Amino acid sequence: MKTSMSIFAAIGLAITTTFAAPESDTEVAARKAALDLAGAFSNEGFKMRDGHWSGTIKPKENALIAVNLYSGNQYWFSVGATEPAKKIAVSVYDETGKLVQTEGYSEGDKAAAGFSPTSSGQYYVLVDLVEGNESSVCFVYSYK
Amino acid sequence: MKPVRRFVVIAFLLGCCAVIGAEPPRLPADQMAKAIRNDAISIPTPGELFAALEKPGKPNWVGQMRGPIGTNYKNRPQIALNLGSLIADGFIAVEAKDSQQVKNIGTDIIKLAKALGVSENVLSRGNSINEFAENDEWDALQEELEATQNEVKSSMQSHRDQDLIILVSVGGWIRGTQAVSAAVMQNYDERAAKVLRQPALVSFIQSKLNDISPDVRDEPLIKEVSGQLPGIEKLVAFPVGKAPSADDVRKVNEAVGKIMSQIQAKDTK
Repeated sequence: MKTSMSIFAAIGLAITTTFAAPESDTEVAARKAALDLAGAFSNEGFKMRDGHWSGTIKPKENALIAVNLYSGNQYWFSVGATEPAKKIAVSVYDETGKLVQTEGYSEGDKAAAGFSPTSSGQYYVLVDLVEGNESSVCFVYSYK
Repeated sequence: MKPVRRFVVIAFLLGCCAVIGAEPPRLPADQMAKAIRNDAISIPTPGELFAALEKPGKPNWVGQMRGPIGTNYKNRPQIALNLGSLIADGFIAVEAKDSQQVKNIGTDIIKLAKALGVSENVLSRGNSINEFAENDEWDALQEELEATQNEVKSSMQSHRDQDLIILVSVGGWIRGTQAVSAAVMQNYDERAAKVLRQPALVSFIQSKLNDISPDVRDEPLIKEVSGQLPGIEKLVAFPVGKAPSADDVRKVNEAVGKIMSQIQAKDTK
């Protein structure tokens, strides 16, 4: 996949976090991985949200992120992690907690899930550490 | 259980469910209740809302633009609400491809941002907005508007104006919903009307407003806005998969229009 991204989105993302809290090197690396992956979708006309969530994920744990989506749009949820994460997975659930069918992409410490909601409302993105140890992760999403 | 083995087990269970026709396991309610929610990820931008509205057909964006609003409010929460609504106006002007309107709105955004004492970084965004508008760079303008909104919020965070951050988002959501509901009313289409279904979003906004400091929460305008959100939450809680009727859309438009009038009214304090 080609990896390019909007300069403005990248600047915005950097600025958003500048004031929030100092980021560790691993958090910065995880964010770069997420942005690299999301950048590939920008080449297909997806606009990247100028916002992100960063955190850590441990084995046997996951991160569940609530997003509010609109029917008619297409979405890609991109997650980047760093060593010692070996493999991560992204899945999407609707507001009742039911698993949603998505297109998937996974390459070691990067993973993405894409779908087009038929109903507007709240959805949940589950980030799972499938293989590896505690690691920083970063989540961004794109729409078109 | 090791993660790889757990993944294999989950995959096996999903496979079994498919074979026997049962549903895969659902997320438990308590896990969903504890999900990560934040302003930067859980509140969609006006651009995201407008992109969905355009799918069934291009709406009349020019018809959704409003006249200039005041930029000399004295009440900081009211300035924050109006700043958010102006950013939504910027997105509308971009959709309408009206470069002069974008420049005018950009100037007003900067005036309100200055009144809140945000950083110089934000102020320089005004020049970028003008430059992109001059060159009809619509995609870049959308990104610049979103970046401006986030930079305003970041600046507020660094100035310990945390309470105002959610108000910028609220102003943007109300103005965006007003424009979208008006556009759907003008040319009703079931697919377009479906974008108005967002009860969880309104509930999240309400919970954030409940968390702000009492001195801001007790401002008459904030009490008024907050007091009307439960009613709006009910109005946008259409059943899953069912499009709101034209009358439902009109009710949403009236409710958000009422709040918008209060937000942009002079001398609320």
